[in-house]
Formats: sequence, structure tokens, C-alpha cells
Amino acid sequence: MRRELSMACFERASPALKGILLKLYRAEKHVEIDHHLYEFGSVEYHVQSSAADPNCIYLSISTPLLSQGVEHSYGLSKQMLKEVCSDAVEIVEPPRQGYQLTLKLDFSKIPTEKESEKVIRQISSVQAVILSSQLKEMLENVNSQDASQGMYKPIKLVYHPREPFYVIKQPQKITAVFPMRFKEPSDVIIATAFFQELMDVGSSEKWAKAPPCTWSPIPPPELRGEPIEDLSTNGGFVSFDISSRHVEGKKLDKTVWSLLNFYAYVKNHIKCTRGFIQRRMQKCLERLVEVLNKENKEEDGDVIKVKENAGCKYVRKLVKFPKSAMLKQRCGEFTKKMKRIRSRIKIHGFGRFQRRWLTTSKFPSPMRYTKLD
Amino acid sequence: MASTLRLYLTCIRNTLEAAMCLQNFPCQEVERHNKPEVELKTSPELLLNPILICRNEAEKCLIETSINSLRISLKVKQADELENILAKKFLRFLSMRAEAFQVLRRKPIQGYDISFLITNYHCEEMQKQKLIDFIVQFMEDIDKEISELKMSVNTRGRLVATEFLKQFI
Repeated sequence: MRRELSMACFERASPALKGILLKLYRAEKHVEIDHHLYEFGSVEYHVQSSAADPNCIYLSISTPLLSQGVEHSYGLSKQMLKEVCSDAVEIVEPPRQGYQLTLKLDFSKIPTEKESEKVIRQISSVQAVILSSQLKEMLENVNSQDASQGMYKPIKLVYHPREPFYVIKQPQKITAVFPMRFKEPSDVIIATAFFQELMDVGSSEKWAKAPPCTWSPIPPPELRGEPIEDLSTNGGFVSFDISSRHVEGKKLDKTVWSLLNFYAYVKNHIKCTRGFIQRRMQKCLERLVEVLNKENKEEDGDVIKVKENAGCKYVRKLVKFPKSAMLKQRCGEFTKKMKRIRSRIKIHGFGRFQRRWLTTSKFPSPMRYTKLD
Repeated sequence: MASTLRLYLTCIRNTLEAAMCLQNFPCQEVERHNKPEVELKTSPELLLNPILICRNEAEKCLIETSINSLRISLKVKQADELENILAKKFLRFLSMRAEAFQVLRRKPIQGYDISFLITNYHCEEMQKQKLIDFIVQFMEDIDKEISELKMSVNTRGRLVATEFLKQFI
């Protein structure tokens, strides 16, 4: 469980980009590089470092807009980038063709080795900053009495392709609605159980300050009029009502990040739960097999005990064994000895005794029964 | 253990004790073959009447007996959707590892969740009483495990939900 929770703290920095930049920073000699990276199928990074300009690395980013319906200026994103990144980063105007943003990185301006990792992590989280800034812009205006047309019109946001969600501005609050879709039917059931727990926890007094959460199998009325393909789900709809309390100061950043990663959070929970179920089943299987094997071992153990203590009267009494089996065992040893010395000793009446006690008819003759019609 | 469950399991135990009197019996159709008659059902004279023991509509046990083999089929309770997928997942997991149990059938018979096939050879290799104990213990454990799994999944869900909501405060 601890591992699951720690994994749920999704990193903002792109791990691949961070790796490349760290490698470039730590390289003793200048490395010429021209890398194209793709994430989630739609985010593209271009890292370029040429021999002509060894101090500078150019990082270009192309990311789809969070919302197609709303015109977005990169002004806020750039402002946030300036705040986040250090002097080592410079925004290139205009950006390179096909990209929305180009950054010029100068690693020689990073003062210490210690700070380098922090700066590179910040640079790698540029895409998250751009997308967060768009949602931040919307959430910051929770209290504004905007009476413009289409005020209650849902805005479709796409953080990850195939996983859009809606933000609906309402008086004094903003509602975020997540249509939930899953591939496996078992995932739907695990997720439904989670949503019900989310509703229960959210409605308890202890969590009164958290945004009210609702789950419904049918689309909420606010989404009326949206395309049918967006409203057809198998996991229902989860809604969060974000009020001004949740976007105050530093909370805004956390709220934005939590909303953007809600899908990933749910999917991570499902994945971990499936792993947990598998581990429990494996343990139970081992336990059940052990029960069966233990019973077999006990049985074998009884036989071994008898053989080991063949000469001891007292122990022999403790082991319950059928009389015929014991007789068979004793006589078996005797016949073995006789076979070993290969002497033909004839004992009067032994043949009859052998037939009576020492032979077991394991396979009865097929002639003993008659088939009924 | 609930008293109804105890009664149900006792009834199954007693029935198994009575039914598990198997003996070696060669196939009547094919020379030098020995097949479980309860599976083939070629000769009606070698089969006994099947016994159905029901705790309720959702939980039942079918015991089919023949001269040389016995088939036990179980239907496990599935109160809701979560229990349903947990039971399906679990029993499928066990069926796929049937070789570990020797007496477990790879595919349950229609209408049941899991089936066991016990032949006279199993009775010879393992003690009859221990086999019955295993079947009853298996039934107890499955019920308990599914209930515990359901509770764990819900508890995990609650903890994860709490962690998620914490981020807003």
C-alpha cells in the first residue's frame, strides 16, 4: 500500500528528457545531439546541441492545447516558466517551426553541481507547466461574475489523448467532470468500488473542506448537448466541485495537478489492486496446496515411522496400522531375504498362507462381471 | 463460522463419506482401459444418483458418484459485482494451476464455479478421510478468502481516496 501511495505522487518532469539533459550536463566533452522524443503520443520534444555553439542546447516543445475551444495565449505559461526556471534558461522568440516553445539552455550558468539536478528537473517539467497554466487560468476565475454568453458551457480539456474531461464554470464554483472508461470489465468494478469510497470519504465531516465528489453512472445534466461519443462510458462520471477555497495561494497548483492526474491516479490504483489480488491468490494457492501435501506427508510419515521403529514394541503400538498391512510388511521382508539367498526352501502350507494374506487383487479379472443391457 | 455454513459443510462431509467408496473398475467399452465412469457415463449401471446440496440459490454443491470416480462441483456465493469478479478471478486462477491439487478439474461443469474429480487411485494414494477434509477446508477457505479480498479491496479504495482528497486540503 505504501508503495502504491508513493507511486501515486506522479512526477511532473519528463523522465526521458531529464535523463538526456542530465547526460548532456555531466558529459566532460561537448556532445553533438539531435533527439526527438515523443510522450503520450502527442507531446514532442526536440533537443539539439551543435558543435558550432557548444554552450547552448536548444529544447523545443510541441504539446496539444488542453482545450481546443478556448483561445489560449502562452503569455501566462511563459511568465510561469520564467518564474520556475533559472538564469540558465532563455525563451527563444519566435519558437522553431512546428513547435510552440523553444528554450535556449546554457548549462555554464548553473552555479553548482547540487543545483543542477533541481534546474534540470524544472526544465523537464515545462510541458506540465504549460498545461497546468491553462487550467490555472480557468480556476483562478472561480469567483469572477462573468456574465458572458456560454458561461455554463462545458469546456472540454484533453490532458492525455482518449481521456478528455470537462470543466464547467458555475456561480461560485467550477465543476470538473471526468467521464471514466476502462478496457476490462473487472477494472470497471474495482474503479466503481473506489468511486463509492471516494464519495463516502468526501461526504464525511472530517473531509468537509475537500471538494465535494459525486459519482453517477449517467452523465450529469451540465453535459447535456455534448457529443454522444464523449458521453458513452462504462465507468460512469466523477465530478468535483472546486470552490475558491481550493484555489487559494499554493493550493491552486496542487488542485490543478490533482485534477490533471485524476485518470492516472485511478488507473494506478486499479493496477495496484490487481497486483494485490494476484498476490493474495498466490498465497492462498500455496496454503491450500500445503494442506494437501501435508496430508500426504503425514501419511508417508506414518509408513516411515513404522519402518524405522520396526524393532521397538512401544513405538509400534503408537502407530495405528492395519493388521494385514503389518503382516504383509513382515512377510515381505522375509520373502525378500529368501529371494536374496536364492535357496529353494519349501515350507509346508506357505503357498496357501501367501495366497490368503500376501496377495492383493488389484486388477480383478474382466471375466468377473457381466455387462447389463 | 455461521451455523448455516457449518450445517452445509457437515452435510457435504457426511455425503462425501458415504459416496467415497470407490474401487478399481476397468472400462467396459475399451479393453485394458481404465476411465472415470462419472465423466464418460457410458454405462448407467455404474452410476449412482447425483446429490445436490444447496445452502441457498447461489451456493450449492453437486456430488456425482460412479463406481470408480466421484465428481464434486461447487457454486460459490457471489453477493455483488465485486464478489463476482473476485470469485471468477480466484477460481480461474486455481483451475489454471489444477496440477498442483491433483484432484482439481481444469474446467468446471456447466452451472458451477469449480469441480473436483476424485478417482479410486486418488483414494488409494491419499487417505479418504484426508481427502474429505481437504474438500471441506477448500470450501471454507474459498468463502473466507473471497470475503477478505472484498474487504481489502474496499479498504485500499478508502485509503487511496483519502490520500487523493488530502491533496486539496
